[in-house]
Amino acid sequence: MISVTPKNLSEHNVKLDLNNLTPEQVALEIKNLDLYYGDKQALQDISMSIPKGQVTAFIGPSGCGKSTLLRCINRMNDLVDICKITGQINLHGENIYDRHTDVAALRRKVGMVFQRPNPFPKSIYENVVYGLRITGENNRRVLDEAVETSLRSAALWNEVKDRLHESALGLSGGQQQRLVIARAIAIQPEVLLLDEPTSALDPISTLTIEELINDLKKQFTVVIVTHNMQQAARVSDQTAFMYMGDLIEYSDTNTLFTTPTKKKTEDYITGRYG
Amino acid sequence: MDNLNIGRHISGQFNEDLERIINHVMHMGGLVEKQLTDALTSVCDADETLAKKVLHNDYLINNAEVSIDDECTRIIAKRQPAAGDLRLVMAIVKTITDLERIGDEAGKIANVTLESLSGEHKDLLSNLDNLGRHVLTFLQATLDAFTRMDFDAAVRVHKSDDKIDREYEALMRQLMTYMMEDPRSIPQVMSVIWSARALERIGDRCQNICEYIIYFVKGKVVRHTTSEDFESLS
Repeated sequence: MISVTPKNLSEHNVKLDLNNLTPEQVALEIKNLDLYYGDKQALQDISMSIPKGQVTAFIGPSGCGKSTLLRCINRMNDLVDICKITGQINLHGENIYDRHTDVAALRRKVGMVFQRPNPFPKSIYENVVYGLRITGENNRRVLDEAVETSLRSAALWNEVKDRLHESALGLSGGQQQRLVIARAIAIQPEVLLLDEPTSALDPISTLTIEELINDLKKQFTVVIVTHNMQQAARVSDQTAFMYMGDLIEYSDTNTLFTTPTKKKTEDYITGRYG
Repeated sequence: MDNLNIGRHISGQFNEDLERIINHVMHMGGLVEKQLTDALTSVCDADETLAKKVLHNDYLINNAEVSIDDECTRIIAKRQPAAGDLRLVMAIVKTITDLERIGDEAGKIANVTLESLSGEHKDLLSNLDNLGRHVLTFLQATLDAFTRMDFDAAVRVHKSDDKIDREYEALMRQLMTYMMEDPRSIPQVMSVIWSARALERIGDRCQNICEYIIYFVKGKVVRHTTSEDFESLS
C-alpha cells in the first residue's frame, strides 16, 4: 500500500526561494531591464532570476510586454530598428547584451518556438537537422541520431518515423509545432523560449505539447509566454505576472494562483475588472 | 459580504453563480441554527414532538449540503477559479461539511429528549441547557463572521471556544460526581453526557469554520495551530 504522508506531499511541491537562488540554480538573470520602442517604454526596470531546469511562465494581458521580454532573452528585439534596451540579461553570468556577444552563438544556446508552427518547406528530416547543418555538421550518422533523439524528445518520433523524408507541411498543426520544438532542441540549447506555443492548436494537441514541456524541463530551462492562465498553472513551476511593462508579481506557480500578494495579480487571474 | 468582493468579475454569470452559492450557504447556516435551537428547546421543555421534528428535518440540511457541493463542483469544472475565488469555493466546500455535521449533532441532542428522563434527573438538563445556549451563540457568531468573511470576528470567535471547552469540562466533572453518588442514574447521565459531547463538538466545528474564513481572507492555512499563532496574521 502506498502511504501518502504529509512529507511525501510536501516533497512533491518543492519551492525555490526566487530571491535567494544560488548561482548554480540560476539559468538567466535579468537585471534592471528597460526597453523602449522609439519613445514608448515597453518594459520598465525588470529584474528577475529564472531558475535552471524549470518552467517559467510569463502571463499578463495583451501589450503587457511578456512577449517583448521573452524576445529579449535571445536578442530577437535586435531585429526591431526602433528598439532600445538598457540593463542586463546574464546567461551563466555573462551579459548577453555585452557588445562582444556573438548573437548567432547566443541563439544556438537559447532556442525559440513561436505561436504559429513555422516548419521550413523541406522534409521532416531536413527540418530537424537544419540547425546542425548550419553549424557545419554533415555526418550522416550524427544527423540520423539527432533526428531520432530530437523527435523522441518532442514526442513525435512514433508518428513520423516512417515518413521522415516527406514534406513537413503535410503534418497537422500540433505535429508541426512539435516538429518545430524538435528542430529547436536538435542543437541542444540550454534555454527554450516558447511564445504562446499552443494558441493555434486544438485542446488535444495542446495537452500533448504541455506534456512535452514537462518532459523538456528535465533537459532544458523553459520559458513560456501564454495567454492561457490555466496552461501557465498546469505547466510552469514559476509564474511572472506582467502588466503595462511592469513585472507585478513573480513567485512559484502554486502560490501565485492560490494566494497572490498583489491586487492586480488577483484581479487578472480571477477575471475581474482592473 | 464586504470582503467577498464577488461582484467585479468580467463574467456576470460567474458573479451570479458565486452569489447563488453564498446565499445557499447562508440559508443552510440558518437551517442548522434553527435545528440546534429546536433541539435545545426540546431538551429543555421535554418536548418530544419538537425533538421528532428536529430528527425529521435533518434531511433538509443533508440536501443543502449535497446541492451546494454539487454547485461548487460545477464552478470548479466550468470556471477554474483561482486565488480568492478558489479559496472561497474551497472554504465553502469545507464549511458545508462542518455545518452538516453540526446538524447531525443537533439530532443527537434531540434524541436525549426522547430518552424521557425521569423527574429526579431533570436538574441534569439545566446545566446542559446553559452550555447549549453558549454554543448556540457561538454558532451564530461563526455564521455572522462567515457572512461578512470577517477576519477579526473569526479570530475572536475561534478564541472563545476555550470558554465552551471549560464549561464542558466542568459539566463532565459534575456528571461524574452524579454517577458516583447514584449509580442507578448512570444510563440517564450517559445520555446527557452524549449531548454535552455533541455540544462540545459543535464548538469545535465552529472553530473549523472560523479557520476556513481565515484561510479565505488571508490565504493562510491555520488548521492545527493555536489562536495565538494566527493572531499575528492581522
